[in-house]
Amino acid sequence: MARAGVQRLVPGVVRQSHGLQRFMLLLGFGLVLLFVVVAVFAPWIAPYGFDADRTSDGVVFGAQQAPSSSHWFGTTVGGTDVFSRVVYGTRTAMIVIALAVVLSSVVGVPLGLVSGYVGGALDRVLVLVMDALYAFPSLLLAIVVSIVLSGGSSGAFGGIMSAALSITVIFVPQYFRVIRNATLSVKTEPYVDAARVVGVRTPRIMFRHVFSNVAQNLPIIGTLNASEAILTLAGLGFLGFGIEPSAAAEWGYDLNKALPDATNGIWWTGVFPGLAIVLVVLGVTLVGESLNDVLNPLLRTRAGDGSESEIQLDDDAAATVAEDVPTDVRRAAVLSLSDLSVSFSTDAGRVRAVRDLSFDVAPGEVLAVVGESGSGKSVTARAVLGLLPSTASVEGSAVLRSGDGPGDGRRTGPAGVPGDGRRSSTERELVGRSQRELRSVRGDEVSMVFQEPSTALDPVRTVGWQIVQGIRAHRSVSAKEARARAVELLELVGLPDPEQRVDYYPHQLSGGQKQRVVIAMAIACDPDVIVADEPTTALDVTVQAQILDLLLSLRDRLGTAIVLITHNMGVVADVADRVVVMYRGRLVETAPVDRLFAEPRHPYTRALLDAVPHLGREDGPEPVDPSNEVVLDVDDLVVEFAGRLGQPAFTAVDHVSLQVRRGEVLGLVGESGSGKSTIGRTAVGLQQPTSGTVSVSGTVVSGLSDARLRPLRSRFGFVFQDPASSLNPRMSIGDCIAEPLRVQTDLSSAQVDAKVASLLESVQLPASYAARFGHELSGGQRQRISLARAIALDPDLLIADEPTSALDVSVQATVLELFAELQQRVGFACLFISHDLAVVDSLANRVAVLQHGRLVEQGSREDVLRRPQEAYTQRLIAAVPVPDPAEQRRRRPTPMP
Amino acid sequence: MSSAEVLAAGEPPTPVPAAPSGSRRGLPPLARYLLVRLALVVPMIWVLVTLVFVLLRVIGDPITAAQGGRLTPEQIAERKAEAGLDRPLLVQYWEYLSGLLHGDFGRSLTDNQPISEVLRVNGAATLELSFYALVVAFAVGVPLGRLAARYRDRLPDVALRLFAIVAYAAPVFFVGLLLKLAFTPFGWPSSGRASTSTLLTLEQVHPRTNILLVDAILWGDPSYVLEVLQYALLPALALGLLTGGVFLRLVRINLLQTMRAEYVTSARARGMAEGRVIRKVAFRNALVPVVTVMGMQVAMLLAGAVLTETTFEWKGIGYALAEYLKARDFLAVQGIVTVIALVVCVASFLIDVIVALVDPRVRF
Repeated sequence: MARAGVQRLVPGVVRQSHGLQRFMLLLGFGLVLLFVVVAVFAPWIAPYGFDADRTSDGVVFGAQQAPSSSHWFGTTVGGTDVFSRVVYGTRTAMIVIALAVVLSSVVGVPLGLVSGYVGGALDRVLVLVMDALYAFPSLLLAIVVSIVLSGGSSGAFGGIMSAALSITVIFVPQYFRVIRNATLSVKTEPYVDAARVVGVRTPRIMFRHVFSNVAQNLPIIGTLNASEAILTLAGLGFLGFGIEPSAAAEWGYDLNKALPDATNGIWWTGVFPGLAIVLVVLGVTLVGESLNDVLNPLLRTRAGDGSESEIQLDDDAAATVAEDVPTDVRRAAVLSLSDLSVSFSTDAGRVRAVRDLSFDVAPGEVLAVVGESGSGKSVTARAVLGLLPSTASVEGSAVLRSGDGPGDGRRTGPAGVPGDGRRSSTERELVGRSQRELRSVRGDEVSMVFQEPSTALDPVRTVGWQIVQGIRAHRSVSAKEARARAVELLELVGLPDPEQRVDYYPHQLSGGQKQRVVIAMAIACDPDVIVADEPTTALDVTVQAQILDLLLSLRDRLGTAIVLITHNMGVVADVADRVVVMYRGRLVETAPVDRLFAEPRHPYTRALLDAVPHLGREDGPEPVDPSNEVVLDVDDLVVEFAGRLGQPAFTAVDHVSLQVRRGEVLGLVGESGSGKSTIGRTAVGLQQPTSGTVSVSGTVVSGLSDARLRPLRSRFGFVFQDPASSLNPRMSIGDCIAEPLRVQTDLSSAQVDAKVASLLESVQLPASYAARFGHELSGGQRQRISLARAIALDPDLLIADEPTSALDVSVQATVLELFAELQQRVGFACLFISHDLAVVDSLANRVAVLQHGRLVEQGSREDVLRRPQEAYTQRLIAAVPVPDPAEQRRRRPTPMP
Repeated sequence: MSSAEVLAAGEPPTPVPAAPSGSRRGLPPLARYLLVRLALVVPMIWVLVTLVFVLLRVIGDPITAAQGGRLTPEQIAERKAEAGLDRPLLVQYWEYLSGLLHGDFGRSLTDNQPISEVLRVNGAATLELSFYALVVAFAVGVPLGRLAARYRDRLPDVALRLFAIVAYAAPVFFVGLLLKLAFTPFGWPSSGRASTSTLLTLEQVHPRTNILLVDAILWGDPSYVLEVLQYALLPALALGLLTGGVFLRLVRINLLQTMRAEYVTSARARGMAEGRVIRKVAFRNALVPVVTVMGMQVAMLLAGAVLTETTFEWKGIGYALAEYLKARDFLAVQGIVTVIALVVCVASFLIDVIVALVDPRVRF
């Protein structure tokens, strides 16, 4: 979920200062061009031949002559013209580089591609050999190879060829490694799986899907290798293993000959060929570096305002609906934002992420800030603490009112009631402060809890160290006292064995435990406000419930106000006192939680709440006729993954049996690691079972070879979770949808086009989208395309693996609607994999619950979700917060102490 | 090297789900990790050693290569039989391997010296040069890399990046030549490891290490120590600047990458001072990939040593290798190249150990 940094927060934010980048690129290209021209026109540029020691009239140049008008760069110890030798040396260098780069990529790229994609023993052997070659000092290898090839030296063509080949041998491993690693990461992308699911043959997958996405690395490695090739060639020549001196001019050889001159003050024989080497390598390297910057995917972002909400509002309707805040509340607020605006400077101009935002946070209250992605809620949180990158500019005001410092007594009352009147507060403006001034606030008065605990904790430091650093940044206490406090804090946040765990590294803790540590850090200095940015989004629902409990109990015990940034309306209903709703950087409505859910006033809030599925209140479909034929039959399925050396195998799926009938949607629910995705992947042959069988429409599909499975593949479709990676970025939408048709049917290309258009229409997108590419679409649109591709062959069975969990709630609602409609119309059987019980409640006929790879309970939607029999199902359902504060208060198992 | 290595260094995550954490069966994880690494080094050594043998025997037999033209065919056959080179290749390969296990790297043809003896004497010189070069490389690369990262895209960064690229772009023998041009006018020594008289004196040191700095210190005369360091300055600078440029870029790019990590923001959000955030949080994390790639630099350093030693007549392994290559003494070349391969493998294993010490995710 959370990609670190601001890239996630504000699409379109690109680092500035491209002027310098452009200069380096131009300088590089200029140098390379210069040398190419010199190489091509060498005979016309050079005044003499490369080994001529006299003019055409027979006048001898003389040895070691200083630069003059007849010999611009002087003459060598052998009495040849240095300038001519440098010019002809350019030609030699360019030919060798070109040959070496072409040859090594021609050999290394296919090897890396095959090795990475096919894997297995071939891969292991190739990796071993290539790593060995790679580890070996490249120059020595080149020397050995050049001796083998030519016995040390030979004529012009043979010499150049053998030099190029020696260099090729040392570069093949580099291409191999980069391409193999890129292949390994590309081959696990959903779009490659999507191609495999429909039966695309391996060579086509490797070329259309893997190679086209890996190839972007080639120019970078090519340029980097080119510069190394020059250095290696020069090194070979310097040691006397390059090209026979009589056959061609070579810079390294000349430098070797010039070495004794250096101690005699004769500089020209060495400096000019040396400079030539430096300038070529510099030019090529600069080109490579700039290409790297240009092609680096981290720097590539989509333009636009980042909002993908399906709820569109007229500008008139966007007027803010805010409760009038009594001035005394305002004065008592710990944090007041007034007209806060945040904008980012990007290549495409300024992007305004937050506009004129005003709200107050009362002492001890839980204020939820809700909105869909791109609404500016996370940016707001970071703006308050000055944690935005330097491209951001913040205007307006954020006033922090703190009491008498730490230990000013417990403030009581969850609702925005000011504490006792003793709070003689000091006001501090946070906007426009220097980093130094803000530092005293961060972690002391205002602290932060991050979304993804595994990235918010430093992986190479113990959790205790990290807590201690936070404490000692603000309090002058000894290391020992700080450590004791860290243990105390870990105990407070409910981490078992705090004395031991204080010395644990983050990777030794579970996700929920890590988030407890992050919270312990946040409360370390007794802050007035905790800003929690999606603190439970990365966690399983049962863990989420525990973390929310913890936050609430801390609020009650410490009186800390909590600003809870979330997209989850269930969480809001569960814990918030007041709610701020944001839409496209603006505040649209603020209200106490009960009022907001009971009578939302702003059209956006109403639309948002309508889109949220409500567990227990959805009227999903009834069970289908049990006489319908069984489409998917999973029988006693076991899937194990081999453990790493010395570790036991990991059982992902443990004796699971289930069936899905024609026209039926089976909701497969469970927490992360429960094995639900593995079942889905096994059902379509992306994963082989350890034991048990999978049959589709009566044919056993598990354990078949790819070739045997291919004709059966038209029977199933697959929709993946991540819309960003489920479409091949290098293929047009039309090609993506058409791929199953081209592989599995004999339709003419006109028929394919017509079918693509009708499929686009059935997912409610215009036919013109066929010419677009994935990155030009929103997440919801991409999921529609995935759906169109999955139903292209009219499958009997559709596997949908969390198809909406990466989408905003309003987008999710429309995609689910479309899904239900298609399912009604086409009548496929569907295995719907989800962690979201409310979504399943809205569209499944039956539900199966998984835990640790075992099937816990299965039955009709009504039975499982309304009348669960198993303790785990009951716990799971109880942990899901419903988007209704009154109902959620009743559902909460134990009221907070 | 540079970015291609940075690209190549990061292994993508394997699709196999990680075994549940906290399983503590059998060996402690660190020991298991090191055993696995060790197990991987052995086949690598075998591949390299075999490669060296195959490549150098493909050339033809070493005797003909070294003495061809000078001896009659009968004499060559006699010499081949003497050296055992007329037997089947497999038998020779077996002898070569079993010799290696006993530390026997064969004898040179031209001066009939045991290679192990060449290694003992010249190896110390190369070790000494590599050490100086590493000191220079660290002293240049690490602080300047941090500086460049800190002033990203501003003048110091631009200047340092250009410096790093030029340091990489200039062949070590060209830098050597420039240094010689610059220093010899002042009478600074620019070839060899010390003056002849000093070398003669230091040969009497017991126990003699062949690491001149150590020998000079053992001898106890500060003027010798000074002289040894004086002679070492230019080669150390030439080789060290090359490696230092690579270190600079590595430190810079990895620092910049870790500065983007959420845990750095999180450290700032706790109120840690910026200097501390960089020193204590970002730098330590940036070190993990840096150390890994620095390990690969050992190979580069050795290749650079061949060129540097030739430039400065520094009588180390690289110098010896170049001499034997010129003399077409492929038995000696085979022995030396084999040793270099071994050193590279051992270094890569040691780097794994260091990574394990820096990164707790590997240790536990």
